[in-house]
Amino acid sequence: MALTRGAGLWRTCCRLVPRQPLLLSAAVRTQSTVSGDLLPCPVQTSLSSPPWQGKTVLVSEEEERSRHAAVVDTVNQLIHKQDFGRLFAVVHFAGRQWKVTNEDLIQIENHIDAECGERIRMEKVLLVGAEEFTLIGRPLLGKDLVRVDATVIEKTESWPKINMVFWKRHRYQRKKIIIQPQTVLRINSIELAPRLT
Amino acid sequence: MVFLSLSCWIRNRGPDRYWKVQEVLKHARHFRGRKNRCYSLAVLAVRRAFVYATKARRFKKRNMRTLWITRIAAASREHGMKYPALMHNLTKTSVQLNRRVICDLAITEPRSFLSLAKLARARQQEGLRAALGDGKEPPGVLSRVVVLQ
Repeated sequence: MALTRGAGLWRTCCRLVPRQPLLLSAAVRTQSTVSGDLLPCPVQTSLSSPPWQGKTVLVSEEEERSRHAAVVDTVNQLIHKQDFGRLFAVVHFAGRQWKVTNEDLIQIENHIDAECGERIRMEKVLLVGAEEFTLIGRPLLGKDLVRVDATVIEKTESWPKINMVFWKRHRYQRKKIIIQPQTVLRINSIELAPRLT
Repeated sequence: MVFLSLSCWIRNRGPDRYWKVQEVLKHARHFRGRKNRCYSLAVLAVRRAFVYATKARRFKKRNMRTLWITRIAAASREHGMKYPALMHNLTKTSVQLNRRVICDLAITEPRSFLSLAKLARARQQEGLRAALGDGKEPPGVLSRVVVLQ
């Protein structure tokens, strides 16, 4: 690659400065950036052409509506027949996002307001993925479309974490033991209803 | 009859200093060299270790985020997008998945990640077309019309 590029520059510089071979080395340095526009770029990079120059086929609005209806219909039929593999979902729970599937155990770093053995429903579902399709919420999926159930299994405490601050030569030293309540949840089921519109 | 006083007395024996030393040495038993048995060396080493552990809890969050970003960048290159373009356009389409989840999807659910990339791609084309000013609709992702809220 370096060879071809060098040859290209050589040709350009010869055209630009035909009678001064002694200045060639200097000319290569100074004019290489300028002569880049004259040459077709030897290497295809992201800057070779502007990003909006890609070929795009415009679809009319009716066409797009009909295609959208076809996709929604297909997915609804798949959901109706329960013809998807094992589902996974991304739920927002306890301040973070969890990618869960059936029969998962998740451990959150806080206590929750439910007793052990109670069943709770996770309502903030961001994404549901099946074998053939993925439903992406913007930002959340509807409550009647998807239902993620979980059971509180265990409420416990974390192991004692030691938080220590120490400044040398300042006689400053603080030690604190932090124990965080924890809760273990079991994901029972992820259900989809054919209510996509 | 159960006699507890003898066993309690055996358990409580020893001066306070002994137990104070054991409390520190307990954390230093796996250290290397004289640190694991000499108190004056162990105190320094244990304090250093606790400070490292405290700081590392903060650094771990930072390092994991950079790792996720690296992985998403690599996966999005596979679909012909760059990381900043992908995240920016996902934000524009109000998809609020965080980097940890997107990274997990890129590794374990390639088809879901492909649909995310396609969505971002369509939004990018739309933005470019709007910037160029002909105001036409982009082709490609059909489910763009779906608004559940």
